[in-house]
Amino acid sequence: MTVRRATAVITGTKPGRARQPWVLVLPALLWTALFFVLPLAVMVVHSFWQRQGYRLVREWTLVNYEKFFARSYFLESLINSIEVTALVTVTSVLLAYPLAYVLAEKVPVRWQRTALVLAIVPFWTSYVVRSYSWLLILSESGVISGSLQFLGVVDGPVSLANNRGATVMGFVHFFTMLLTLTIFANLKQLSPNYRRAAADLGAGPVRTFVHVILPLTLPGIMVGAFLTFVLCIGDYITPQILGGNQELLLPQTIMLQIARRSDFPMASAMALVLMIVVSVVYLACARWLRLERA
Amino acid sequence: MSATRRVAWVLGAVPATVYALAIYAFIFLPVGALVLFSFQSSSLPVPPFDGPSLQWYRAVLAEERLTRALTNSIVVALTSSLAAVALGFCAAYGLARYHLRGDRLVRGLLMAPLTVSYLIIGMGLLITFNTLTIPKSLLAVGIGHVVINLPLCFAILYSQMGEHQANVERAARDLGAREWQVMALVTMPMLWPALFASYFLSVTFSWDEFIIAFLVSKFEVTLPVEIWSMLRTGLSPQLNAIGSLVFGVSVVLVLLLDLVLLRRKRAP
Amino acid sequence: MNERSGGPGRRASIYPSPRRATRGLTAAVAVVLSWTAGIGAGAAEELNALVWCDHTDTALIEPFEKKFGVRVNTKEYEGTGTALSIIEQSRPGDWDIWVIDGVDVPRAIDLGLLATLPADQLPLADVFEQVRMTDVTQRDGKTYAIIEKFGYNTIAYNRAKVDPADMTDIAVMWNEKYKDRIAIYDYYIPVMDMVALGLGMKPNEISDATLPKIRDGLFRMKDVARTVSDVVASQTALATGEVDILIGGGEWAIATLTDENPNFEWVLPEQGGILWAQSLAVFETSRRKDLAVEFVKYVMSPEGQARLATSSCFWGMPANSRAGAHLTDEQKRRLRWDKREEYLANSYRYFIPDAELDAKMLDVWTEMLQH
Repeated sequence: MTVRRATAVITGTKPGRARQPWVLVLPALLWTALFFVLPLAVMVVHSFWQRQGYRLVREWTLVNYEKFFARSYFLESLINSIEVTALVTVTSVLLAYPLAYVLAEKVPVRWQRTALVLAIVPFWTSYVVRSYSWLLILSESGVISGSLQFLGVVDGPVSLANNRGATVMGFVHFFTMLLTLTIFANLKQLSPNYRRAAADLGAGPVRTFVHVILPLTLPGIMVGAFLTFVLCIGDYITPQILGGNQELLLPQTIMLQIARRSDFPMASAMALVLMIVVSVVYLACARWLRLERA
Repeated sequence: MSATRRVAWVLGAVPATVYALAIYAFIFLPVGALVLFSFQSSSLPVPPFDGPSLQWYRAVLAEERLTRALTNSIVVALTSSLAAVALGFCAAYGLARYHLRGDRLVRGLLMAPLTVSYLIIGMGLLITFNTLTIPKSLLAVGIGHVVINLPLCFAILYSQMGEHQANVERAARDLGAREWQVMALVTMPMLWPALFASYFLSVTFSWDEFIIAFLVSKFEVTLPVEIWSMLRTGLSPQLNAIGSLVFGVSVVLVLLLDLVLLRRKRAP
Repeated sequence: MNERSGGPGRRASIYPSPRRATRGLTAAVAVVLSWTAGIGAGAAEELNALVWCDHTDTALIEPFEKKFGVRVNTKEYEGTGTALSIIEQSRPGDWDIWVIDGVDVPRAIDLGLLATLPADQLPLADVFEQVRMTDVTQRDGKTYAIIEKFGYNTIAYNRAKVDPADMTDIAVMWNEKYKDRIAIYDYYIPVMDMVALGLGMKPNEISDATLPKIRDGLFRMKDVARTVSDVVASQTALATGEVDILIGGGEWAIATLTDENPNFEWVLPEQGGILWAQSLAVFETSRRKDLAVEFVKYVMSPEGQARLATSSCFWGMPANSRAGAHLTDEQKRRLRWDKREEYLANSYRYFIPDAELDAKMLDVWTEMLQH
């Protein structure tokens, strides 16, 4: 009895009632704690250990972090990642917004779902194969080179693959679709009253858009942009297949440590840096990322 | 509408249409090339395209590793998503319907994996399993997939558990239903679009997920990992064929679902 | 807070009745068990092999599987460092067979990973003398590995797009004339060895002192290169015409491409080429050593060797000289079978650094990738 009453007091619910919500929430919580929090903790601990030769030395040391920030080629991978991700996010937003707008406003309602599904369907091919497909499209003997030659824009075969541009293109391809979805959802939720009110007050279409629609869709943009940022900065496949090793992004550097050297401490330190970067971005956008209930 | 306004509207619609079509062309480009070169006659999926041939599809279906990986992918996706939806539903119900101390913290914790890259989640699991000398396996992949899909399911379901459902649940309780009955017979049916959406999304993410599967699986692998391995052994239109098959099956599935759903909606 | 109305006797419980719960739980456990069991079931006996990609060809493996009624599971890797990572992340008994770079065998012996092979059952006498490499594959009279295939990391090119005369000088890897037409094979050891040759050094002269010069040589290479890529990406780049020269390439890179485009060639420049030699070994902790040894014997047999030499991922010279009887003339041509003595004489083995120098070399390689 006493335990139950104590639990009730702690959890602020009536006795007998006390257990029920926690029993419901506990499985998910335990899973997250065991398979997410624990591994992260293990990783953090490893980042302060060191790999010497072929052994793991379990002594507290900051050498991994020192190495990361001191060696230019490691630090550069972080900078490259941030640059590429920023470029991808901005480009994708710029490409996606008009499309979302067209889908939400200009396309008749009964075709909207079909249009959305049509936009998503191409991404049901395997991610790996799709990236390779891009490599072939962008290569010298690929479709784009052929078209450019056909149109007379270039004289000879031109290759757009195996560089940062190709990586960005591969990313933008996917994230344009993702952002279109989030912005579309947001646009659909907007009550037409806003537009009517703006019109009543004498605003033209451009002003209505800039001062009313755009700010109201900012949450949708920010959610999509944040998702884009997180997914893009941690992605290994696209830069690996399309980048041609012209430069290294952070996930590639991390995988090099894991695959070729089993250097978990170094990889963990880099992973931690990545997480901190993402956390900083999260805090900057936290305003728009709160979970709301219907 | 007057004639000039109609003309203006049409003119206004043209750039929009052109833009939309251009973006759609961009989106479909890799798929188009993929499917086209899956019918390639020669042994490299590069232009020029020479003659349609089904040899690669035959090769794919005969390739035991691929079909096994395909089965593994399906099993992992379906079961891990089920787990994610179940855990997410219970947690969302518990947090939405009861007032708990520290529920903001719990919500934040459950949503945290969304902000961590899959690479890091996979690495964490790899290092942890390694330290505890737990062997890598498909089960580990499934566990990782639940970790990445749980926040999503939770978020979707939680955001849909509003006051409207709460009232119906109260009515059910007044009529004598026990708690688990309320959950199973009242809440779940009412929320079935959200349940379906979260399940569907989880399956989609799990199905095509590469990095976690790559890091924590051993011999039994999922399709993306098998494709990656095959890419390391030789470039061939076989990979186009499997990509196209996956694509084809997905399209068919969606069409079926659409028909089933539409039919249910239209039923009086 | 949702209150529950109702009189005494109505118990609020979210738990389903015990019977239903037990039934549900047993069902779930049964499903999970049968699934996991189903995954592992199938072949009565299995061999787990950690291999290079040429061992995954069914043409090579199937005859063995059929003959012994077993299944061979393969996991591919590139680079001995990667293999060591995989082994470290596994448990004892997980692996039976290892395809390992010949020059890395001493390191593996030091780590106690390899079992001794019954030398009398292996056709060691038939192996080409220059690749027997008993100084690395044997220790204290015991045999730990046997060389099964070899080839060269040198210059591969498309003779329709470049001047073949330029290819006979290893300095082509820095040649501005071919800027953006070059791919570098993504394996640091042979490529750095090639840089050493280009600088007039021998590969085994790479050291802490000479590493900076190697680094500069690598940077010069990267400046004119289009991509640094693994086996398949290199082949793709050559096949699609993205690049015309592959540094570190050889018969292994282009033999499979020659079917489509007979213009691919490879050559050893004057300064020499780097000899790669892969060996086959059995893990000390393997639980199926006898079966593993049978596999080794199969791969070393003339028929097995011929299949291995022309395996789908990459080709290479068979170590067993008797395999020549099972190769076609065209296959021999692509492998430069007739030039084998000449090439063997003008090539150098991989330089194997100690753990510290290895880490430094990898760092230099990462730096080059980032350059």
